[in-house]
Amino acid sequence: MRPRRSAYLTGEWSARHPAGLRPGGRFLSRGRVAVGALHWLGWIIVSPRSVVSGGVTRELETLGVGALRLVGSASILVGLIATFQVAYQLKQYGAESVSALAIGWFGTREVGPLVVALLVVTRSASAIAGEFAAMTSNGEIDALRAMSLDPVKYLVAPKLAALCIALPALTIIADGLITLGGWLGTTFFLGFNSRFYLEQIRTSLAMSDLAIGVAKSILFAFVIAIIASDEGLGVDRRVAAIGEAASRAVVYCLLGVLAADTLINAIFYFIPALVL
Amino acid sequence: MQSSTSSPLSSSERALEVHHLSGPSGSPLIFDIDLLVSRGETLLVLGPIQSGKSMLMRHLVGLECAETGTIAVDGHTFDPTKPDEKGLRKLRARAGVLFEGSALLRRISVLENVELPLLEHRHSSRAQARDAARELLAEVGIEVDDSTMPVELGRAGQRRVALARALALRPHLLLLDEPTLGLDSQAAHNFDETLHALQTRYNFGIVIFSHEIRHAYGPANEIDVLAGGRIVARGTRESLLQSDDPVIHGLLHRRERE
Repeated sequence: MRPRRSAYLTGEWSARHPAGLRPGGRFLSRGRVAVGALHWLGWIIVSPRSVVSGGVTRELETLGVGALRLVGSASILVGLIATFQVAYQLKQYGAESVSALAIGWFGTREVGPLVVALLVVTRSASAIAGEFAAMTSNGEIDALRAMSLDPVKYLVAPKLAALCIALPALTIIADGLITLGGWLGTTFFLGFNSRFYLEQIRTSLAMSDLAIGVAKSILFAFVIAIIASDEGLGVDRRVAAIGEAASRAVVYCLLGVLAADTLINAIFYFIPALVL
Repeated sequence: MQSSTSSPLSSSERALEVHHLSGPSGSPLIFDIDLLVSRGETLLVLGPIQSGKSMLMRHLVGLECAETGTIAVDGHTFDPTKPDEKGLRKLRARAGVLFEGSALLRRISVLENVELPLLEHRHSSRAQARDAARELLAEVGIEVDDSTMPVELGRAGQRRVALARALALRPHLLLLDEPTLGLDSQAAHNFDETLHALQTRYNFGIVIFSHEIRHAYGPANEIDVLAGGRIVARGTRESLLQSDDPVIHGLLHRRERE
């Protein structure tokens, strides 16, 4: 199935002005990339055997599978840190034993998706921006445009699709490993038994927490893919621009992820009915 | 200076026709360019580095917004001052481009590089596109496995793959930016021979943008000398060799001095 073609969404205008300008500045440029990428993401979903589906598999391997070791080891450490920190705070009230409750709830809702997003930003945002900036510098982006091949369709949409699959999957894995880290801390260092810890986790954890964490991770995937891609595609044809784009991508992606998380938390706080 | 636009050719014979092209919009680097290339002919745009050759080529495929001028490829007129998606697609389906340094996509295989324009513009199936890509590569003398990556080929091989990709849609016009830059003399000669054989077979017009004087001693029917973003001389090699202009003299007599 081929989607209806729109002059605005496809080809030249979804990425950049043909003259290499970014009319409307950074904000509008990100908006154009975002709209184009969402359009082509929809196309990938309805047409999974499309020309760019091979790109999604390739990106999934790089952006998702490649991040497993980092996310896995960091999540266990985060579980341990959270246990010590929460237990330390609760100790003064004699409530050290309920630290597992906080880990179960806060870990899946907040720490899991946020830690995974920040790790993926540090690992992949600079790589995405650097790759696109190098392609711009080598003339590969111009070559795509000269064949009327939309860089957003062929380059950005596969990365967005891969991140939208990889981040939720990594978040679920991270949730499990944070819980494992919490168990290590609670049983080996705080001296509680495993049955008690698991009971506390079971009491505190609801499927809705997991769902909120996964939903957040999809939003973070979108923020990372769009900002990093736009930084990479928006550079001049200078070799020095590659490093600059990579640095900017990390900074803006970190801020973007934190801003999105703040917004979600504010919404949940001010509209309590949304808290499941 | 001979006017290039006064030829009495019919539009179907014209691979490229450019009138009064200046750009890019806002800060022009090329000024009042007129070009005419017929099918089966080769035009050499010769000029020193930073003379505006690549900028001119970028305008011809709509990668830059022009300030003034018109471009017609294969009889289809395009307004380069107001590039629109539909016009750009028509223009680019008729003009193949080989960028300086090949500009192949390094993360996909050689075959996938050649398949891309076929999948996008011809809406071919994957199997059809793969067969067509193999055929195109064979025409330029390249034989590869499904998984061969561009980086596994040498510079000359990559240039040939880029040529196959540029010819994928069977364009009536081929634009080549520094096509033999960085190749040794034998590889450059072989590339020229392949190009000439393909032109004879498919009858497309060629515009070569280069600072390499060796192209002036090749099959170019006409040479336009570009300096400071303007065409300062136009003619055959023999007529230009008679010129006393220091830029032309410097460019064309360099080979003799060497």
